[in-house]
Amino acid sequence: MDTAAVDQGSVQVGPAAGRLSNESFITFFMIAVLIGLFGMACAFVPNFFLPRNVLNLLTNYWYIIILGIGVTFLLVTGNFDMSVGGNVALTGVVAAWACQAAAASPNPLAVGLGLPYGVAVALALCCAVGVGAVNAFFIVRLRVPSIIVTLGTMMLSRGLAQVITRGAQRNTSLPEVFGVIGNTFLPGTPVKVAVLIMVALVAVASVVEKATVSGRRTYLIGANAEAARLSGLKVGQHVARLYLLSGLLAGITGILLSSEFKAGVSGRASGYEFDALVITLLGGVSISGGFGSVLGMFVGAIILSVVTSAATGLLLSPDWQFTLKGVVTFLAILAQRFALDRRNG
Amino acid sequence: MTEARASVLRADGTTAVRAAVKNLYIYAVLLLIVLAFSVARLDQVELFGPGHFLSPDSVVNMLRIAAPILTLSGAFTLLMISGYIDLSVGSAMSLAAVVFAFLVRAGAPLPLALPLTLLLGLGFGLLNGLLVMRLRITPVIATLVTLNLFKGAALLVVPKGLSAIKGVPGRPMPAWINDYARAEVILGLPWAFWVAVLLVGVLVVVQRRTVLGKYAAAIGGNRTAAELSGIDPVRWVWILYLLVGVCAALAGVARASYMSLGDPLSGDGMELDCIIAVLLGGTAFSGGEGSVAKTVVGALIIVCVTTGLMTVIPAFWQTFAKGTVLIAAVALNHLLVRERTPL
Amino acid sequence: MDRPDNVLEIRGLVKDYASVRAVNEVSFDVRRNTVHCLVGENGAGKSTLIKILTGAVGRSGGRILLNGREYAPRSPREARQRGISTLFQELNVVDQLTVAENLSLGREDTTLGFLRRTDKVQRMVGVMNSLEPSIDPRQRVSTLSVAQKQIVEIAKAVAAESEILIMDEPTAAISEGEIARLFAIVKRLRERNVTVIYISHRLDEIFELGDAVTVMRDGRHVATRPLAEVKDRAELIRMMLGKAVFEGYQARPAGSREVVLQVKGLSNRKLQDVSFEVRRGEIVGFYGLVGAGKTELARAIYGADPHRGEVLFQGVPLPRRPDQVIEAGIALVPEERRSQGLFTILTVRGNVPVMNMARISRHGFIRAGEERRATREAIRRLRIACSGPEKEAAKLSGGNQQKVVFAKCLFADAQLLLLDEPTRGIDVGAKSEIYAIIRRLAEEGKSILVFSSELPEILSLCDRIHLLYDGAIKGTLENGAGVDSQEVMHVVTGGR
Repeated sequence: MDTAAVDQGSVQVGPAAGRLSNESFITFFMIAVLIGLFGMACAFVPNFFLPRNVLNLLTNYWYIIILGIGVTFLLVTGNFDMSVGGNVALTGVVAAWACQAAAASPNPLAVGLGLPYGVAVALALCCAVGVGAVNAFFIVRLRVPSIIVTLGTMMLSRGLAQVITRGAQRNTSLPEVFGVIGNTFLPGTPVKVAVLIMVALVAVASVVEKATVSGRRTYLIGANAEAARLSGLKVGQHVARLYLLSGLLAGITGILLSSEFKAGVSGRASGYEFDALVITLLGGVSISGGFGSVLGMFVGAIILSVVTSAATGLLLSPDWQFTLKGVVTFLAILAQRFALDRRNG
Repeated sequence: MTEARASVLRADGTTAVRAAVKNLYIYAVLLLIVLAFSVARLDQVELFGPGHFLSPDSVVNMLRIAAPILTLSGAFTLLMISGYIDLSVGSAMSLAAVVFAFLVRAGAPLPLALPLTLLLGLGFGLLNGLLVMRLRITPVIATLVTLNLFKGAALLVVPKGLSAIKGVPGRPMPAWINDYARAEVILGLPWAFWVAVLLVGVLVVVQRRTVLGKYAAAIGGNRTAAELSGIDPVRWVWILYLLVGVCAALAGVARASYMSLGDPLSGDGMELDCIIAVLLGGTAFSGGEGSVAKTVVGALIIVCVTTGLMTVIPAFWQTFAKGTVLIAAVALNHLLVRERTPL
Repeated sequence: MDRPDNVLEIRGLVKDYASVRAVNEVSFDVRRNTVHCLVGENGAGKSTLIKILTGAVGRSGGRILLNGREYAPRSPREARQRGISTLFQELNVVDQLTVAENLSLGREDTTLGFLRRTDKVQRMVGVMNSLEPSIDPRQRVSTLSVAQKQIVEIAKAVAAESEILIMDEPTAAISEGEIARLFAIVKRLRERNVTVIYISHRLDEIFELGDAVTVMRDGRHVATRPLAEVKDRAELIRMMLGKAVFEGYQARPAGSREVVLQVKGLSNRKLQDVSFEVRRGEIVGFYGLVGAGKTELARAIYGADPHRGEVLFQGVPLPRRPDQVIEAGIALVPEERRSQGLFTILTVRGNVPVMNMARISRHGFIRAGEERRATREAIRRLRIACSGPEKEAAKLSGGNQQKVVFAKCLFADAQLLLLDEPTRGIDVGAKSEIYAIIRRLAEEGKSILVFSSELPEILSLCDRIHLLYDGAIKGTLENGAGVDSQEVMHVVTGGR
């Protein structure tokens, strides 16, 4: 009798061993799209298939990709973080301000705190994580929708950056060391250290995502928050940590970018929050939760890179970028949904 | 039995107090802010005198600045009551401003330029409604993407090398473009303001007296119940998206007229102003309830704060101040909207 | 128009789910302007029948005639248009609108979109006032009690000239006094040409309200009779239970006498002063019908809902958060498998180790080999029919999904299992497998609490049975040959 029941059960489950998970399927789907787009770009855009250009395509968006890591994790749990762009600006400005010489100067934007670079970086990162903490408090504790809270902290952090720089930037009396990390290249290559950091972070994040308990929790919460709670996961605590992480990643990006430009600019990184969201969506992360990967997000970034640079190469002015991003994102969302529906019948 | 009755009464009492606080606090906040700015800098300026926060010039100026947000926030409220959101309103407004300026400079008279721009607004709503209601893309994501679509389109309309659609040698901007938002019509205030007031009035009536307002609350409050009663959310929320689109276009016209040019960034951040106004007005995040009238008060608060602050602190504090106001509005809304379930 | 005596005629109705026939060749008539009660144990097929009537699900076979005409609604909306309204347990009123606005919702008189104050609204308000004068039509619905909201919904259905009003356990969430008022209203509905189909587990209500009763059991129609011809509760209970065929209870060797769980005076919104003890290796059952407080009790012990009172586990007060309760050695198989127990979009491997990730990880890293081995072990041990650890949980049958949820709990090394409706919606074969698993676990020395609304399940599994009614334990019995299932049914349907 028992065997009968088991047999009956196995009739319903079809032969499916060795089949890809939906998530890998979408990642491969987007890789295929990427290859297709790349092929088309090589065929039609002059000088597209040059090693230098290909390298650029892969490394162009390093700062968005770093931000995308936090945004991906949060989106998998069903939450937004629109504060990353403002946070990048804030961190850069704080780092510069803290580093500037404290000596009196007629230009108020030249007077800083005179702290050593290491301390300045630590202070800036604390600010960045602080923004994440504000997000976490309102979203997890007060249960305010994340989109509203993070739009608020986006303004708050950008506003703070503007206050510190009086709406401009701080680029004088900075120590030499300030500009080092953002302008160092890997020996013998045109690749910046920042790109290396991005690659390292993506690698670490991919491992965390797939191979650690913490990464697994992210997916469990996204898949079914109530079941996660009843299975003993501390849902609120985990989401809060992800906001802190997202803040930290924005902080790292801010330090690298401000070093590259040797300045803390309050207008820096505007719209990065949207770009980070776009590449996660292109990479197949679903807002309904539990679905998506850092690697997919990386693929999404490359797709965006190919599309925008191909468009620039095809006589489109850079002004097309917003429109292009919008159209590409919608096409991606609809194509992914169509592909998944077809696959799952 | 008597005990039960007593507890019911007590519950009613606290509910009444809560309701009163909920209904009146926003006026108190507005009053407080006006008072604060009136008192500020009294050592330097005379009360109601030139340069004072409440001088006639300053008040007229504030109301003129308020025209776009007044035009837009009413429809935005109705949409949020239905449980949906449109983050693209700011760039929709920019695009409308650019297109309007373009048409005017190209020689189109007002009776042509205005309807065309409003038609464009209808198009915004059509697109957002299509993406959200028909293709079922999450409202936040769909309208964030259209935000960038519209923004990109606005930038594309502006020719290379210029920052806005404005008069150039050989093709000047007709002077009448200014009339709508600057010419003094009644009480020293321009058409843009009076149209906004009229629109607000109409939308207050729409909310209270028409099926649209009622269905918005029903869909936001209990979607299943609304559907069971034969209400089609797709159709009604789509109508609200159309309304928001048209209002955004009208706000864009006001902005273009005020600046006599079409600036592709002029509407940036308007969606946040609208959210702040709506939250200050006590509309629930989750939809179902809210008030167009109170949103308008919220909008006035924003205008007072932004213009008032300009007299006290440097301009680079603006964003920070607005962010603070938004977070404060979130906290305040959280405290007030959470209704206790009755016993 | 010629109107037949029977407003509704159901003929040979069949509904098959994947492997279960939920409604099996059911035929009966509902007479016009009566209160027609529908009774049966959980799983008897009542709710499926109602879902077919309200258009929520389709049928697999058979016919329904409404006023002599074919009736096959495709949605609840269509059912409403045809004149069948339903008072669901989840109320369908809009809290943010006023009573009058709710009454007219979707049926407003308008001019150019403007709401008009016409006679129609007045008439609707009139209908409601005649049912219950104390509700002010200008009041916001959020200020009403559950019972008052029900009345608003009833009034709406009546005003919409519904011919049939289905009421699904309307008294489950309202107080005694409110029940009396609701009954007075239901009794007056027939004057308004409304036929009521009334579903309740509280048999006293059936006798008080009903004109006729239909009894269902195991998806089949047992009898339809005028209530005047039904002698007493006992007869109704006999019809509901039939010659209950279930695997007999096998008395098990008494385990150790060590008390594992002590619950003293547990109370909350739904529970009243619940106290009991559980020993090591015991299977203790909580039997009660829908709304008796079973799920609430399980969730309170588990720390998922707030509560007062004392819970001692192995002599130590139990913490009040699920994560800490799990750590203490208790696991829950929740009532709603798909929304509370399972991560359906993840694989079996993704589900099994969730409650005890420490066992498959070292320094925070998941040991993939260990995880696969553990999952295979669980698949083998619980005989989960699936192609392997990488199978998506969503694609398993109900019984196998439930086994995955069990596997989760077992993986947590729980010493005490809370099983809330462990076999709901599962076919017979899988059911007996799950029973075997439960018995084996008890033999291994685990203590098990079964919360169920299926009497055969309770009787075949449990060593001791607590009877729940209205959030309180109304009786306790040791299982064995002497258990009188009719007496049990008497207690859990509110008899004294």
